[in-house]
Amino acid sequence: MKYMIMTFGSAEAGVAAMGREWMLEMVKFMQQLDKDLKDSGELVDARGLADGSQAKTVRIKNGIPVATDGPFAESKESLVGYWIVDVESEARVIEIASRIVDYVKAPIEVRQVMDAPPDF
Amino acid sequence: LSDEPRIEDLLRELAPQVLGMLVRRHDQFDACEDAVQEALLAAALQWADRGVPDNPRSWLITVASRRLVDEWRSESARRRREESTAVLELAVADQAVSHDDTLTLLFLCCHPSLSVPSQLALTLRAVGGLTTAEIARAFLVPEATMAQRISRAKERIKSTGMKFDLPPESERADRLRVVLHVLYLVFNEGYMTSSGISLHRADLTTEAIRLARMLYEIAPGEGEVAGLLALMLLTEARRPARTDADGWLVPLDDQQRDLWNTAQITEGVALLTRTLGKFPVGPYQMQAAIAAVHDEAPTADETDWPQILALYEVLEQISPGPVVTLNRAVAVARVHGPRAGLALLGTLDTDERMAYTHRLEAVRGHLLEQAGDLAAARESYQRAARMTASLPEQRYLTLRAARLD
Repeated sequence: MKYMIMTFGSAEAGVAAMGREWMLEMVKFMQQLDKDLKDSGELVDARGLADGSQAKTVRIKNGIPVATDGPFAESKESLVGYWIVDVESEARVIEIASRIVDYVKAPIEVRQVMDAPPDF
Repeated sequence: LSDEPRIEDLLRELAPQVLGMLVRRHDQFDACEDAVQEALLAAALQWADRGVPDNPRSWLITVASRRLVDEWRSESARRRREESTAVLELAVADQAVSHDDTLTLLFLCCHPSLSVPSQLALTLRAVGGLTTAEIARAFLVPEATMAQRISRAKERIKSTGMKFDLPPESERADRLRVVLHVLYLVFNEGYMTSSGISLHRADLTTEAIRLARMLYEIAPGEGEVAGLLALMLLTEARRPARTDADGWLVPLDDQQRDLWNTAQITEGVALLTRTLGKFPVGPYQMQAAIAAVHDEAPTADETDWPQILALYEVLEQISPGPVVTLNRAVAVARVHGPRAGLALLGTLDTDERMAYTHRLEAVRGHLLEQAGDLAAARESYQRAARMTASLPEQRYLTLRAARLD
């Protein structure tokens, strides 16, 4: 079963709230986590996204799609990175997510990737 | 070029025989498996170029043995003296094929102490002779991830000291159940899994059927092996009708039955006829029998639902569980009307095992629709659409709900 694990916020806000040391430790933690997930044969993909302030939002204006600068949501609601893992069970992905939450200290979201078998 | 599929088929057939022979001799599954994979790759290249050798199995054993010797040579000089002579002797002797070896290999790859994803991957590689890249593609994960999964499974076999022996008679039935479940999962992964683009990955169903057929040839006296093979054939037969030209799911009732594969249906039914009643009855045989009733109905309306209901009652007795009850409810609805089906579904509402599956709501939606309660049906479809993790099914259920607006 594949799941996407998503973290939200921004590096800047993280450093402001938790301090520089925390940030350095966090980087180490992330590297270790990626390594562990590779070693366990569960990692499908992991990416960090550029800061939400660099985002463009595309919306329809006067019937034409127009791109404007800036994030759509507040920074704490902005996606900063994700992992896609292929695991044996939901319990396992919760275990991985719990490890991340322990470090990030902010809620993260876990969503199943739609590649399960249909049942009829 | 026309020889290529034949070479591939031949290699996959020989892979477990060669590996079994080597592991029986050296008891080093890990190293032997690597050596056999290398030999298979070498064969695929050379045989396409220079033709298939007179004795292909012997060729593979010789090449794989050489790899093993090379490996040990780089490992330690002491080992080399002890082992290399023995290896070469074996290569020359080219012992007769032992079906027990292939069976033992299957039991090893499907060892209960391995995780399910590991069992699937290892079985496809060591018994199926697929490359890591092929397995990774089939399961939609990066090759490095699959390689790591396989290598961890092999490490676990090594570290737990699993022996290359058939399990003792007392454990055999349980262990065979795990093997059958692994093959069943491989089939399902191919038959049903969708990356959102294609509903069917034929390679995995073909491979699962091939492995089940191989197992049936080795163990014809196991009724459930025959049952599983029949179930796969009778299910796979409907594949061409299961999606429409645009890739949308077509429910069984609406399928164009002349697209079904009659050769597979004939084979599946014949297999089932030879099996039922001659061996202890089991869940795969019963599911195959149900599939056969569907497959033999010329039209959806002519389906023998009382017969299907009777089969589900037997299935529920030998292998009870909420999913069986759910399927029985569908049959009850066909025989005794949607309200009777809904009443049986109601008994599952408090079952925690069903709390996280969309199936209960999807079936309820269908039965409510049949009963004429369209508003409630729509809600059930929508709930089911939210709960499913299958993209084609989500689309199907969402549309089904929208139709009732």
